Amino acid sequence: MNSTPRTEPARVGTPATRVFGLLAVLFLGWVVVGGLFITPADAIQGDSVRIMYVHVPTAWVAYLAFIVTAIASAGYLFGKRHSLGFDRVAGASAEVGVLFMALTLMSGSLWGRLTWGTFWQWDPRLTTTAFLFVTYLGYLAVRGLGGTPERRAKRSAILALLAVLEIPLVHFSVLLWRSLHQEASVLSSDGDVKLDDLMLFTLLVGVLGFTALYGWLVSHRQRILTMRDIEEAKGIDLAISERIAEGSVR
Amino acid sequence: MDLSPRETNVSPAPRVRKRQWRYVALLLVVAVAGIVVVSQFLTSAIDYYCNVDEIGVKEGCDPDRRIRVQGTVEEGSVKEVLGATMFTLEFNGEKLAVAYEGDPGGIFQECIPVVAHGRLNGDTFEANRIEVRHSNEYVAENSERVEKAEKAGCSMITG
Amino acid sequence: MKDVGFIALTYVVTFGAIIAIVARTLITGSRLSKKIPDQDKPWI
Repeated sequence: MNSTPRTEPARVGTPATRVFGLLAVLFLGWVVVGGLFITPADAIQGDSVRIMYVHVPTAWVAYLAFIVTAIASAGYLFGKRHSLGFDRVAGASAEVGVLFMALTLMSGSLWGRLTWGTFWQWDPRLTTTAFLFVTYLGYLAVRGLGGTPERRAKRSAILALLAVLEIPLVHFSVLLWRSLHQEASVLSSDGDVKLDDLMLFTLLVGVLGFTALYGWLVSHRQRILTMRDIEEAKGIDLAISERIAEGSVR
Repeated sequence: MDLSPRETNVSPAPRVRKRQWRYVALLLVVAVAGIVVVSQFLTSAIDYYCNVDEIGVKEGCDPDRRIRVQGTVEEGSVKEVLGATMFTLEFNGEKLAVAYEGDPGGIFQECIPVVAHGRLNGDTFEANRIEVRHSNEYVAENSERVEKAEKAGCSMITG
Repeated sequence: MKDVGFIALTYVVTFGAIIAIVARTLITGSRLSKKIPDQDKPWI
């Protein structure tokens, strides 16, 4: 039996992912240039406000990623066909969400040192965010525990549907408890946008850029997970056929 | 056909098993981290969070225990005395004198809301930790609004 | 610019991590794609 892999052109990207990639490069390019050199400093916070242009969008993308993970997990669990495609989207989205949540915690910690005077404080917003991050790290660990793709999909889908319930708790923690963290500036409870125009523009461009990057990453990583499953299934098929061949010789 | 267990191993099982152990280890780390996060949150909640006007009034804000006090730094009250920072916190018309060993850091300044951690000693709150709260409002430096606020004093800066 | 070290560190770590993950995704995708025939790729 010929076990040498067939050489095929390396194709993971599609026109849609290329559009995501292009938008991400354009918008994130503005975030770097505009955020660092063009937008004004804040009257009270000074230049440290520039950290907001990466902190807020990465937090938004992390929330989005975990919500998509939950929706895709529900699609797997409650769908008639129990399609593994949903499971792979859930897994890919959680991977990207964990990355962005880590970046949110890092940038928030540095911003906190400059404004609050401390890198970390066990206050409601920070603690619930850290707990959310730890929960999704656990989700990724559970995905890697082995078993058939169907078993992996089922156990991780149940966990994802439970974990997503933490997101409202994180978002509203600054309203529910007294927190060091400020309330939302764009989606504030009184509906007012409390940002200078150019700051707001750069923040929104950042949100679009990081969202486009999320789209690119999830599309690619979901395809990688599909190819990994195929590769592993082929490995198992190969092992079984070798065993059968071995048994026939004996 | 003989399908009994054999000694030689052609399947990728050992590699997969090794990878699985890595995930089990990660899961253990995650569980420990989760416990640490929750326990730290509960431990830090021991310092009760009170506004200046709630000291001695609200349950948990007793003057003889360690608390966290929130208020706005009164305009013109910040003084440096022998390496210590002295200032007055105010909230809802109530005032509290605060003494902090050293420089609070962050964007500490007059007219800004802060949280002081410490204990009341007589009439002075002795803080060993100061954190600056900032509002959710962002205004460009040198804008007309800032100039107006500076002329008007504390009330407009803190919103 | 005040606080330049912290701000620079934030941008370097954020965009450095993004570039690293994008590069890793492209390399892994390309390696796996060579092993898997096109008919097994539903996105093509």
